[in-house]
Amino acid sequence: MIFSELYGAYYNVLAGILQIAVSSPPLTPEDLHRIVEERAFSESLWQLEALLKNERWPLLKTDGSTALKHPPTMPLTLLQKRWLKAISLDPRLKLFCDEPLDFPGIDPLFTAADVGCYDQCQDGDPYEDENYIQNFRQILDALHRRCPLRIHSLDAAGRKRYADVMPDHLEYSEKDDKFRLQCHRGRSSMTINLARIIRVSPSDREIQPSPGKLRLPKQGQVEFELIDHRDALERVLLHFAHLEKEVRKQDALHYVVRLSYDQQDETEILIRILSFGPMLKVISPPHFVDQIRERLRRQKERPL
Amino acid sequence: MAYSELIKNFNRVRGYMREFFVYGFKSREDYTQKSLRSYDNERRRIESWLGDYMRFHQTAEGKIVFLSIDSRRVRHNPFYRAWKSKSFTDGAVTLHFILLDILAGPEDVHSLAEICEQINEYTALFDGATAFDESTVRKKLNDYVREGILEKLRRGRSVYFRRSSSPPYYSRDVLDFFSEVAPCGVIGSFLLDKSPQRESHFSFKHHYITTALDSEVTAGILDAIKRRKNICIRILNRNKNSVSEHLVTPLRILYGVQSGRQYLMAYHLRSGYINSYRLDRLLSVKTEKAAAEFDALREKLDRMQSNIWGVSTWCRTKDSLETVTFTVCYSDSEGFIHERLEREKRCGSVERLDPNHSRFSAKLYDSSEIIPWIRSFIGRIVTIEFSNREIEERFWSDLEEMYRLYHQDEEVKG
Repeated sequence: MIFSELYGAYYNVLAGILQIAVSSPPLTPEDLHRIVEERAFSESLWQLEALLKNERWPLLKTDGSTALKHPPTMPLTLLQKRWLKAISLDPRLKLFCDEPLDFPGIDPLFTAADVGCYDQCQDGDPYEDENYIQNFRQILDALHRRCPLRIHSLDAAGRKRYADVMPDHLEYSEKDDKFRLQCHRGRSSMTINLARIIRVSPSDREIQPSPGKLRLPKQGQVEFELIDHRDALERVLLHFAHLEKEVRKQDALHYVVRLSYDQQDETEILIRILSFGPMLKVISPPHFVDQIRERLRRQKERPL
Repeated sequence: MAYSELIKNFNRVRGYMREFFVYGFKSREDYTQKSLRSYDNERRRIESWLGDYMRFHQTAEGKIVFLSIDSRRVRHNPFYRAWKSKSFTDGAVTLHFILLDILAGPEDVHSLAEICEQINEYTALFDGATAFDESTVRKKLNDYVREGILEKLRRGRSVYFRRSSSPPYYSRDVLDFFSEVAPCGVIGSFLLDKSPQRESHFSFKHHYITTALDSEVTAGILDAIKRRKNICIRILNRNKNSVSEHLVTPLRILYGVQSGRQYLMAYHLRSGYINSYRLDRLLSVKTEKAAAEFDALREKLDRMQSNIWGVSTWCRTKDSLETVTFTVCYSDSEGFIHERLEREKRCGSVERLDPNHSRFSAKLYDSSEIIPWIRSFIGRIVTIEFSNREIEERFWSDLEEMYRLYHQDEEVKG
């Protein structure tokens, strides 16, 4: 069972508290605050403080000592082992390690035959390709060590290029089944598709700004009216659920939705809005409306 | 009863979280299925778990609460926090830590009686601590054997318990990645909770985080598939506000990375059809008897999937698939349109007719499923034909409606 106290925030907090009580007593209020902040929720502190103060659970005394003799640990549950076994079968695991771990006698929670995606793009990254794997691992290593890299790659037109960059993080798109490296190049940011990388090597260039301050892509906003026919409300809002949005109800059938998106993805957002047909009408920005009008005009002029 | 941020039943918050995140336009008074007090408590809990993402705005109808999350900017699914809010009894938490302390090492092997005796030594240090009777301890030990935390050993007629071995597992990078992309990723998040904290090196685009809310039913279905068992599913019918039960053979879970939906593909024992069921509408999954025809049914689904665009297995014309064909045009510098067709064709086929035209065709159970994708080529479509005339008429009438919607302002101005 997934919804179990065994995996709960309070059990994790208690394990942290008891670890200090066993290994380096006494537990201070600062320890408690830190552990709760790291492992639990915004209202947990006062709830847990009250419970611990009353010695509600015969585990920890009010003086911070405990009857436990060992720092608390919990073996993996069967569910955890089954999930780990399942990801051992995923081809993307090779990006991280040569040999998957073995869990003898454990059935995987799922295999590729049990779960499938019906709308993923068919030109995903080559996870079995040795060069791709080597590049991926070098980038991941540089992310750990915060080291600059020189990356030789092909651009969209197939021309060879290289750049000295400071890796910031790897971005994975489930729709495209592709990894992209988000990195700093001088004061600007850069995105490199991993599948286009030819070679990765250490760079001796000093690159600013420091990792963790990647400039976010410029944001765009689009506002559209939604007409709730054919279950459009549910379909549209779920479809765009991964983006930041605000929805306002106008009446029983009409809603106004404002979506925020990365401006570099505007064409993708546009065709996704078009896919809902007359259930959506873009209100702003004007250039977005114009693009849709233009596509409709071109379509109307085609002799079908 | 005093308010607690922990809950006993996840389904109590599952619906509210989806409403706050996916819809986010309802006021307190719009939540009519439960009492207003229930709404207040659940909203407060969700705020406690996900306060950073909670937003409000005021309308004439009242205060609107919603969750606003750009999933590209978060490294870990915030909804996983809700799965860590299970309530427990004082006895359960006490026994958990004491039992695992008694059975701390691989050499610690004890009988029930020995364990009970040792528990008393722990609790004796606390004034007024409740003693645990043998049946309570036995039940907890057996629960932990089922969970895989403990092992039961038989020596002659005696039964002993010890902790299970815990093999080393994957690095934090592996867990950071797969906890976001693998089914039931919340299990990876549980494992991450045991690792030292540091920021993940992965972010995710087109990432539908609401699927996390369906983790329990997903795990139940996957377990039944693995064991080749039928299941009884309880489905919430949104339009009728009613619940129905169905006995099915679960065959596969299919998910859409462009729609955020997850479906169970299953054989309905009473109707004799393979249908799709939205996972977010499943309230519970109960394992039933063995599914005798599992292998044959899954093979049938495999065959069917080469004619299913999304998940619909509903064929209007019995024993005959529907055909869809359309041609798009593009300029010499727009070869990416052909590449896009190739990339997104799914079970269809694409043919390049000349340097400026490509044709897509497919045979489908339900051709209405492909219409949204075809609409994304508006402006480039030069021919289109559906064997199902009703669907084709709807395509044209929708297009007319779009012309009207976007050009009525111009007409008024003109």
